[in-house]
Amino acid sequence: MRKGMLFGVCILVGVMAFSTGWAKEPTIKIGINAPITGDIPKVGEGTKFAAQLWLEDVKAAGGIAVGKKKYPVELVIEDNESKAESAVKVTTKMITEDDILVMVGPQASKQAVPAAGIANNYKTPMITPWSTNPDSTKDKPYVFRACFLDPFQGPVVANFISNEFKFKKAAVLYDVASDYPKGLAEFFKKAWEDTHGKGSVVAYESFTTKDTDFSSQLTKIINSGAQVLFTPQYYNEVALIVQQAHQLGWKKPIVGSDSWGSAETVKLCGKDCYGAFFSTHYAAAGATGDTKKFIDRYKAKHGYVPDDVAALTWDAMMLVQKAIQGTGGLTGDLKKDRDNVRTALSQVKKFKGITGEMTFAGKNDPSKCAVIVKISDTGEFTFYKSVCP
Amino acid sequence: MPPPAPISRTFRARCSRVPLLGWLSGALAAVVLERFVGTPLALAVGLPKIPALFGIDIMLKKPLLIPNAVLYTVLIYLLPIAAVALSTAFLTNRLAGGLMKLPVAVPVAVHLGLLYAALHFWADVSDYRSLVLKLTMIAIMLTLSLNVINGYMGEFSCSHPGFMALGAYCASVVTVGLFVDGNYFGIALLPGETGPFLFPIDLVAGGLLAAFGALFVAIPSFRTRGDYLAIISLAFLFIVKSLIENFEFVRGPRGMSGQPDLAGLPTVFSWAVLCVWSINNFVRSTVGKAMNAVRDNEMAAEAMTVDTRRTKIVAFLFAAFWAGVAGGLFAHVLRYVNPGTFGIQNLAEVLAMVYFGGLNSVYGSIVGAVSISLLGEALRPLEIFKWIIIPLLLILVMIYRPTGLIAFKDLEVATLLRPKQGPDGER
Repeated sequence: MRKGMLFGVCILVGVMAFSTGWAKEPTIKIGINAPITGDIPKVGEGTKFAAQLWLEDVKAAGGIAVGKKKYPVELVIEDNESKAESAVKVTTKMITEDDILVMVGPQASKQAVPAAGIANNYKTPMITPWSTNPDSTKDKPYVFRACFLDPFQGPVVANFISNEFKFKKAAVLYDVASDYPKGLAEFFKKAWEDTHGKGSVVAYESFTTKDTDFSSQLTKIINSGAQVLFTPQYYNEVALIVQQAHQLGWKKPIVGSDSWGSAETVKLCGKDCYGAFFSTHYAAAGATGDTKKFIDRYKAKHGYVPDDVAALTWDAMMLVQKAIQGTGGLTGDLKKDRDNVRTALSQVKKFKGITGEMTFAGKNDPSKCAVIVKISDTGEFTFYKSVCP
Repeated sequence: MPPPAPISRTFRARCSRVPLLGWLSGALAAVVLERFVGTPLALAVGLPKIPALFGIDIMLKKPLLIPNAVLYTVLIYLLPIAAVALSTAFLTNRLAGGLMKLPVAVPVAVHLGLLYAALHFWADVSDYRSLVLKLTMIAIMLTLSLNVINGYMGEFSCSHPGFMALGAYCASVVTVGLFVDGNYFGIALLPGETGPFLFPIDLVAGGLLAAFGALFVAIPSFRTRGDYLAIISLAFLFIVKSLIENFEFVRGPRGMSGQPDLAGLPTVFSWAVLCVWSINNFVRSTVGKAMNAVRDNEMAAEAMTVDTRRTKIVAFLFAAFWAGVAGGLFAHVLRYVNPGTFGIQNLAEVLAMVYFGGLNSVYGSIVGAVSISLLGEALRPLEIFKWIIIPLLLILVMIYRPTGLIAFKDLEVATLLRPKQGPDGER
């Protein structure tokens, strides 16, 4: 018994002698708050892969050069299970335990809103790449986002349809129980009725998450005499809606929003989605320059074309890098450094990201352009038009 | 001369002579020690800082640091606790004996005070610990209240997240409306300082609303049992969820944020204690025994003059009340609520805690809630494997202890607190 214990202590001390002495040099820690398990694991995967790709670049460059010094970078990747309470726990943990300088994520608004409250309380800068809910950054000076907002996207789509097709009557089909489709449907309706007058949205139909049969709503829409159908849904519902609409005899255009921009959309939907339009952050097919470089690298490494979450996360990481470099030098005092990074972030102007040019200029939401994408006859997302604020 | 007993046995025998008071003092000593020498010690054993949850997180992320984390945990928790508890056993036994002679409220208050002090110092080290602690205590409240229905009364109710949602939203609407500018009344009606005083009333209101909602499950339960009641209660959960999703004044699926920061550690702790106390008394009262009778055989109970309808109504309302209070606290700890939170996933978690810990037992609920919450938190770095390990544990428990870890055991306060050794040395 005694001997065993002595032996154990010896091993302990021996191993400790090897493992001590790490983390002595100042490291920049960046938190990644991603939904790796739970409802939307694909989003978490894209986030993680994009962040790791960025880390590779930074490591190859020997760290981030701030002022005259180069700092090594460490990513703290945590899983928020796509739950609000876990996102809050993870955020608190990263900020108080892991001493991160900046946090990237969470992606979905239902985690981003509470996490943003925590980050703001601890005065830690946070960038959410994908959350389009206005509440995420509202009254929170430390919280930024890398995408445009729903109040911008709704009018973009409405104006695109009005100008492109000269239609006067639109129908909307959306999920009433999910915040993103609901918000976007409302903004679209408002923008459409502002141009075409009251009652020009002739059918405004809703369903609830996980519904799979939309025939009654679609029949109503077809009978309403609408010229176009707008449905801001996620990829799994898009496939069902579009296919069922075609089966019921709908031949007019169908338009979607950035939630369509997943590789799965075409896979599930097949030929039915060819020719449809949606607004999004970037178009993968026919991309040029840095965007193409990113897509090619990602595809080579993980075997599929990155969706908009991955692209936005990449941009968020680049924004972080730019902001850290923009501080002109780290003081070593985490509190001051976080403040400095926040200030630097808010002053970012004309940042060339792979999802377009971003300018914060004192605000927490970037002003950036939206892209209208057409699904080509081979199922690729091709660039159609760019709409700027 | 008899041969000396093996060390392990004498050690265990000595441990069994330590009263709860001794263990609590040991825990307090350990956390106070950590508070003051934790950081230098952590640095000395090669850890970057004090490990948050007993070092499990560090062990999983950097396996090389396992010995360091183990050493830290042993040095800062196990050794001081054991040393203090064993060395003061004589003293604490005398003290516990003396306390037990006073009215029962006095020893209970002393023990709770010690427990709170230990938790307070432990949580003082980092806000992350404090958050985990608060959410764990809320999980205890939920598990206990669900155990009243599923364990003590033997009905399979699935509506608990619904009750919780009612409580959470009611409490949030009141606090956000009264204390935050730019909401229902335009400006904040009351100054923020009155918040802590109104908060208990607010939580009770949330609990009452949840209890009212429980009527819609309790009344159908007169005629249905088993699977049918499970489906009815599940339907109730969906009704509540879609109601909230469609109510624009609670911001629908977008969720409500901006609740004032009212749920600190002392608040949550006091409510959790109140909940354990009242549920423990409830299940040992006549109504509690009537619930057991209803579970074992409803017709026989009816024949033995048990008013089954009244029993069911009281049990449902009581359990829903505490679920509502827990929901209100939950909303104010996170400071954000979203109808999506109160769905099937939440239900599965609470049910897992109840069945893991043990049916028909207050101890079991506490053990289940604490172990599942802490495991879930500590194993987070494993990502997807976490969702294999925890269900696997649950399956193992179901195979070897089909009613849960500590089932059918009463929490008797006097036995728990009594000294483990008389003044003359005999037990």
